[in-house]
Amino acid sequence: MIPSQKIDEWVREVEERPSSAPVILRFIASRLSELAQRNEELLAENIELQTGQKVEQYESRIANLEYQLEMLKRQFSQNLLAPAEPAAEMVSALVYNPQGQVLRLELRADELVHNTLITSFPDSAVAGGRLRLLATSSQEELLFIFDSGRTVALPVAEIPAVDPGAPDWQQAYLQDVHGLEELVAIQPIARMALSETCVQVSRRAFVKKIKESFLETYIANNYIGTGVKLQADKTCSLAFCGPDDLLVLVSKEGYVWCIEASRLPFMIEEAQRLRSMDHIITAFSANPQSSLVVVTRSGKAVHRDNSWLELAISLKTQGKPLFSRERRAAGDQVAGAAAINENDWAAALRSDGALAVYKLRDLLGAGSLLPGNASAHILDFATFGAQA
Amino acid sequence: MTLSVGIDFGTSNSGVAVFDGARVRLLPIDDQNVVPEVVKTTLYITKDFHHTIGQEAIELYYRHNVNRLRRFVKKWVGEIDFRGAEMFYVRDVYVYVDELKPGRLLQYIKTALRSQGYQGTQVFDRYYTTADLIAAYLQALKQRAEKLLGEEISQVTLGRPVYFSTDAEQDQKAEDTLRQAAYQAGFQKVQLEFEPVAAALFYEQSLDRPKNVLVFDFGGGTLDITIMSLGDSRRRKVYSSGGIGIAGSDFDRAIIENRMLPHFGKGQVDDNLELIELVNTVADWIALPDLSTPQARMRLKHAIQVGIAPVRLKALESLIFNDLAFTFYNAVEASKIALSDTGASVIRMQAQDIDLWELYTRHQFERDIREYQARIESVLLDTIIQSGLETEQIDAVVKTGGSSYIPAFSEMLNRLFGPERVHSSNMFSSVTAGLAIKAYDSGHS
Repeated sequence: MIPSQKIDEWVREVEERPSSAPVILRFIASRLSELAQRNEELLAENIELQTGQKVEQYESRIANLEYQLEMLKRQFSQNLLAPAEPAAEMVSALVYNPQGQVLRLELRADELVHNTLITSFPDSAVAGGRLRLLATSSQEELLFIFDSGRTVALPVAEIPAVDPGAPDWQQAYLQDVHGLEELVAIQPIARMALSETCVQVSRRAFVKKIKESFLETYIANNYIGTGVKLQADKTCSLAFCGPDDLLVLVSKEGYVWCIEASRLPFMIEEAQRLRSMDHIITAFSANPQSSLVVVTRSGKAVHRDNSWLELAISLKTQGKPLFSRERRAAGDQVAGAAAINENDWAAALRSDGALAVYKLRDLLGAGSLLPGNASAHILDFATFGAQA
Repeated sequence: MTLSVGIDFGTSNSGVAVFDGARVRLLPIDDQNVVPEVVKTTLYITKDFHHTIGQEAIELYYRHNVNRLRRFVKKWVGEIDFRGAEMFYVRDVYVYVDELKPGRLLQYIKTALRSQGYQGTQVFDRYYTTADLIAAYLQALKQRAEKLLGEEISQVTLGRPVYFSTDAEQDQKAEDTLRQAAYQAGFQKVQLEFEPVAAALFYEQSLDRPKNVLVFDFGGGTLDITIMSLGDSRRRKVYSSGGIGIAGSDFDRAIIENRMLPHFGKGQVDDNLELIELVNTVADWIALPDLSTPQARMRLKHAIQVGIAPVRLKALESLIFNDLAFTFYNAVEASKIALSDTGASVIRMQAQDIDLWELYTRHQFERDIREYQARIESVLLDTIIQSGLETEQIDAVVKTGGSSYIPAFSEMLNRLFGPERVHSSNMFSSVTAGLAIKAYDSGHS
């Protein structure tokens, strides 16, 4: 529809500049011819619809497609009847306590569903809040690290898997604890051979860098060293780093400290200056491809690009705060953190004993591990690769 | 010796030039463009934060985006802390993100400098401030120029409009942002020069005796006027400078508002506030790409289903969700440019569900920009009064920039000064060339 006001304006143009008349005429004629052609096509289509010719054309095309489909079915019927079933990848979720008790739950990687409750531990065992969680491939080799500096290497498969329906600490695998020592961490070490260095990190943010070749000797001797300078301190994590990797430390109060692994000392040194009540929750290596996820005790999953990280200029610095002062004052604390790819999965252990798995991509979209009205909080959080 | 260049960072087009003391060399910075010495001020940022500019950016955008698939996911982007008298609580913020979006095209970046509210934009997971956007563009420009010259460029003379803003504080802020962007792009020494002054310096090369010259620099983003005494480099004098933030992009907007919105439902959906809001956004190049959300699509689909202006709203849906905004704005701009040579042109766009045909005449255009014309003439007369010169004392009027070729403004200049005193300088490159001369002069003074 062309309103008459518009036609008046065209006429006005011709009155003001008669030289515009042929141009306008040409444009309108060209449009008319275009519309006439379109009109003819539509009329022809209408006749085809009215006479049923179009319906016949479609019916013939559908019959042809059905025939082709049938032929394809026959051609591939053998393959369809007997599809080759690849061996499923198995993932192990290990929940352990300082007394050396370990419960292993085995899950099929191809059956994982986002935001699914895997199991629920008896409340009494969770109440202490000192349980830790590790999720890794069932093919992994594990290193048990005790606060005395003693280590034990063990394949995951040697720890018996328990029934997820009714996990019972009575059936837990028990790694012997000597005297007053405590189990402080279990670390997968299959990546060790691909790394250049291993960094031992303590709860009070002391770090010790160990060359990969020396670490093998340490493991063979069942002793890695306490990795601490203060008596009350304990090892909390090992991180395997490549030559260009960054070491990232994340503290309970939400301070994130990061440095190139190559700049770390081989002697035990205080890396991050923590406040008196703060301690390291986790340490890991990061590369430019990965990004960072931090999970708070209240269940928030905070995603940060690697560019958010600020490289520390020197040791004994506080790191970059993740929370505002108000949030910290309100009691927000970190439960876990990791360097991730969006295709990874995550597992979280809650204070009510529930253990759930999440697809990280969906988790980051949702932003939270817990429903809004949840009374529980997150005890520990672990990530594992899609092909774990 | 450090190499110094002149860069005209324009609203629609940019350029780079060097001066060797005798001859200005405009660099063929965009070999894919019809005029290689002019590069479109367009920036395309891919998902992996790779930056491309000019025609390459546009072609990459088309290749990546037109008629592509979309998949929206709800993404948590952060929290807002609310503080009341006795309470404090945190609220989650979510946005719908098209996770298949391969990149984002930005144009008219320079207008961000004069926009008070615009601080920057989120591109995928990264926030680009205005300075970051300009720096990304200038850096790509610098790299291309270095490749052509075969050496590193450390110094730059950048053009700036006479007024980014009439508010002195905002004007200073815009200048600081531009300067910061240039440093961010890797230049070690940055100086700024008024764009019309630069155009005057270029014009001065053709003078054999001193003259009072009025430069009418009218481009895509601003109109800048300077009245100067030229012809003797020792006695150069700026009598007055003036300007206004009206130019080509405002005219495009006026055309869209007056002529194009009915093609997308204006006049048929005016009583539906949600729909008319969508339709009106078509005129806003910054906001239009952000309309591609599941909610907007649902709103449009529902309206089409219940028979509200189905053909127009289908066209609007196609414009938004097939990433046709850039094609649309280009069609409008091309038609406007054509009106400088002819009395009528057609704004034409054919795509899925869009068959847009609008015969547009010079009479209609002049009617659409009548309000702007009056303001521009008033700024021009004010600048002449401020110079203390009579119009007769102005020996030459030099017009430069794409919009200065719009017949209504050529006629205005002819009427005020007489056609014999009005000269055309190189439409897109006189500012660039003048900036190169300034860069050379500064290095040798």
